[in-house]
Amino acid sequence: MEVKKMNEEGNTLEIKNLVIHYISEEEVVKAVNGVDIIIKAGKTLGLVGETGAGKTTTALSILNLVPEPQGKILSGEVLLQGRSVLSMSDLELEDIRGDKVAMIFQDPMTSLNPVHTVGDQIAESIEIHRKVSKQEALKQAKEMLELVGIPGERSNEYPYQFSGGMKQRVVIAIALTCSPDLLIADEPTTALDVTIQAQVLKLINELRRKYHMSMLMITHDLGIVAEVCDEVSIAYAGRIVEHGTLEDIFDNLRHPYTKGLFDALPDIEARRSELKPIKGLMPDPTNLPSGCAFHPRCDYVMEVCSQSLPENKWLSETHCVQCHLYKDTNESML
Amino acid sequence: MSETVTRKELMGETVNKYTTRKEFFKQYKKKSRLEETWNRFLRNKMAVIGLFIFVFIMVVAVVAPLIADYDTEAITINVSNRLQPPSTEHIFGTDEMGRDIMARIVHGARISLVVGFSSVAIALFIGGAFGAIAGYYGGKTDDIIMRCMDVFLCLPDVLLALAIVAAFGTTLVNMTIAIGLSFTPKFSRVVRSAVMTVRGIEYVEAARAIGSTNTHIITNHVLINCFGPIVVQVTLYVASAILTISALSFIGLGIQAPIPEWGNMLASGRAYMRDHAYIVMAPGLAIFVTILSLNLLGDGLRDALDPRLK
Repeated sequence: MEVKKMNEEGNTLEIKNLVIHYISEEEVVKAVNGVDIIIKAGKTLGLVGETGAGKTTTALSILNLVPEPQGKILSGEVLLQGRSVLSMSDLELEDIRGDKVAMIFQDPMTSLNPVHTVGDQIAESIEIHRKVSKQEALKQAKEMLELVGIPGERSNEYPYQFSGGMKQRVVIAIALTCSPDLLIADEPTTALDVTIQAQVLKLINELRRKYHMSMLMITHDLGIVAEVCDEVSIAYAGRIVEHGTLEDIFDNLRHPYTKGLFDALPDIEARRSELKPIKGLMPDPTNLPSGCAFHPRCDYVMEVCSQSLPENKWLSETHCVQCHLYKDTNESML
Repeated sequence: MSETVTRKELMGETVNKYTTRKEFFKQYKKKSRLEETWNRFLRNKMAVIGLFIFVFIMVVAVVAPLIADYDTEAITINVSNRLQPPSTEHIFGTDEMGRDIMARIVHGARISLVVGFSSVAIALFIGGAFGAIAGYYGGKTDDIIMRCMDVFLCLPDVLLALAIVAAFGTTLVNMTIAIGLSFTPKFSRVVRSAVMTVRGIEYVEAARAIGSTNTHIITNHVLINCFGPIVVQVTLYVASAILTISALSFIGLGIQAPIPEWGNMLASGRAYMRDHAYIVMAPGLAIFVTILSLNLLGDGLRDALDPRLK
């Protein structure tokens, strides 16, 4: 009942209390430990966190592509426009992948098949989902290439004939061919240099607006978040420790980890100042600290932090934080 | 000042030389992967020699009827002509039934090559399918398929082929199937390992993310990228298949006389070896040269396709 109500408000994606562990014979990697994410139609959510915070695993779960057999989804729900992805049959999943949800992968160098022309690779998605002839699919593939700023006649060329930035444009073209409702961008610009990053981000943003897509932008670059996103979720050790609108996070951040992330950014005004990294290292996901996973690195650690996991605390309609500091107050403690 | 002039001249030359933009960029166009591989292959002299010999054998096999007539020269017994030493008329001499050895070698090449290639094709098709499925899906599927293959792998392939031929009769088709089946487990292992390396690459995941079916991914994205190791194995196993045919024929379970085949030529010539060594020399050399050329070719291809090995 509740689900239905939420959908009338138009949520493209809802992830509720998702827990995913990678289980092997020797150890259990606790990648995702209770993630809640809501993306409203046409909005962009930035998922920010260090390497190993469970961002990519969360993204893969939306397509039900968590690597088997080690990856186990232990609990939680992934609702795509109200339909549960995790209980779908393989056929239904194949229908959804690429059509309703598309993904832009991190590294364009390896996410294109070297032995097929880029035109063929774009056309593949069209052929699968639009049930059109090969010729028609190739024609549309050319149009998609033009859309991402590559001359259509280059559709007969192979990936090695393209530069890194152009390959990523091709990957974007593949993702957008069937105008999906949700676009997952998994660090789409990490493998590119800064000038190309800006171009690619601009392109993604324009196309997203044009087709009214929702987007999940996975990144560890706060600059990208400020540019592209409407809302931000900060992930740490497989949990969302703080969530809010851009203003909530950038101007009114509450969680000590979020503060650490912003402090770690170099300041362009004070060029001589040293960087302030967060002390310590990301915890070993096979052996997470008790209580709040951030407490060994936290400057504001209290006794309770190592004993119990903090609950979600809603500071306002949009702003939510998981930290014991805010048990009794909404005011910033930092 | 002078520098500027030179530059201008240079530019002028460039513009004249390449009239269109496309032509100008042509010189910078990267070589294709195939071209690169081919160039690497050409640098390996032994491999090129192997290729030449093998192409020569193929051509000889194809034009065999033009070199010597099958019925009159390779099959028909002509006792008055028996055991002639090599001469201009009979380059390799004649055998114990008066047939021209040259003619028999040339026609024997056809059988060896046809059976060699078709048995490897059978092995590649069946073994490749099983190997691809095992490698792609992994887990239990992999275990079941590969343990079955391991059982067959335990048996020496000549022995396995022997058993099949002995059970079903010594026809050409049976022998091809027998050799094909005995090579199947080897191909399944090769294809499986190749598939397993490709399976982990991101474009396979990307293909799944756009909703491709597993069958489509295996045939269109995975196998096509395993082309290199498979080609190498094919050339090496064709050699081994030809050797197996000869071995089977030699012990009388392969191609039956009077059909000319290198192995049975060796076997029938054995009795006359002491006085007429040329009878066994020619078929022996034919087997040796064919196998050698295929092995050189296979080694060369492996080095060319995987430059890291060198």
